Amino acid sequence: MTTELKIPEFSANFAESGQQGKWGMAIDMDICTGCQACVAACAMENNVPFVGEADSGYGRSMHWIRTERFWEGEFPEIKMTPYQPMLCQQCGHAPCEPVCPAFATVHSQSEALNLQVYNRCVGTRYCANNCPYQVRSFNWRDFERPEPLPNQFNPDVTVRRRGVMEKCTFCIQRIHRAEDQAKSEGREIADGEFTTACAQACPADAIVFGRIDDPESAVSKLARGSRGFHMLEELGTLPSVTYLKAG
Amino acid sequence: MVKRFMSWLSDPLGRIGLLIAFLAVFSGAAFGLYTTQTAPPQPIQFPHNLHVGLGIQCLYCHPGAYRQASAGLPTETKCWGCHQQLSKYADGTVALPAELQKLKAYVDANKPIQWVPVAQVPDFVHFNHRPHIAAGLNCENCHGDMSKVTVAENPQVINMGWCLECHRARTVDNPEKRTKLLDCGTCHY
Repeated sequence: MTTELKIPEFSANFAESGQQGKWGMAIDMDICTGCQACVAACAMENNVPFVGEADSGYGRSMHWIRTERFWEGEFPEIKMTPYQPMLCQQCGHAPCEPVCPAFATVHSQSEALNLQVYNRCVGTRYCANNCPYQVRSFNWRDFERPEPLPNQFNPDVTVRRRGVMEKCTFCIQRIHRAEDQAKSEGREIADGEFTTACAQACPADAIVFGRIDDPESAVSKLARGSRGFHMLEELGTLPSVTYLKAG
Repeated sequence: MVKRFMSWLSDPLGRIGLLIAFLAVFSGAAFGLYTTQTAPPQPIQFPHNLHVGLGIQCLYCHPGAYRQASAGLPTETKCWGCHQQLSKYADGTVALPAELQKLKAYVDANKPIQWVPVAQVPDFVHFNHRPHIAAGLNCENCHGDMSKVTVAENPQVINMGWCLECHRARTVDNPEKRTKLLDCGTCHY
């Protein structure tokens, strides 16, 4: 069994040893209006709890995707930077993975995603502290879901309990469903056949999801364009999410 | 502290107390384990052996196994669809047995039968029947020979080791499939 575990180790040329992604996303910051539809859709799809005001004040708010905004300049001469939806970048060489003592944060060899295995997680929070994108959120409590909110749980996604880390999965339940459907019909998944909850909800179609290893897919074409860049590319994390610069 | 405990142990009453405490913990654990391994009580004592013996296919009542994640449990209308046609009950020559009267009560009240799922996995495991059937597995490979049981029960403990045992054995000569079937993300998300 040990031969199948691929534990990444830090080295000077670690960017070269990372795995290229299978699924990818392109986010056009020029189109994004910061409407937060993706944030709401993600929370609904993935059973993300509502933390509430008090715990949010402690910085314990839970989102798998958030819309970042920054200001440039001094008041009153301020200029806002474009909205930037920030989610797990599904790094090909993820900083979260080597620090987990319980192997709860592992790299999926078949889907090329960063997995969070809830039943293995012991809640050390090392992964969140080592994530340069700050996209992991920790279940500090069993957050209350008053009736009738439990009725809208997504049965395809685990309802996490207190003390485990969680993060964006690229809607792996949708990936599995589409793969299963395609396999039952004896074909490959077509580009755009399914998409993540955030991309589906985006009214401006600023988020595009698909196969990054297929050069003909919509997301690959966008990512190859001159506007594309990766967040914190200099860290060599090989993100699967490509941002498209404004203007 | 240790000394006090030792002197307390030399007292016969202390030993009896320790024995009782041990027995309480042990029997509690044993009972807990027992409840995980016994079939839950069902609203109707459904005889699987009788139905399988009549040659009814598993997929007739559990059709989901063929095409989706959940195999599904039959509704009261599905049961009644066959049972209302049994002429010996319909013409009144034989009185309706107690279990079928329960079924008729559900049908008359138009209420769903609250079957209790027996072969279960925890919330953090996502099992899909379809690929298992597509891979050529038969129902009895996991659920046992249902022609020998009445009310459904598990023939073995359903745990990850048992799943992986089969996934490993069946993918020895296919590395790509092996990667997929041993990947955490295939079941846990």
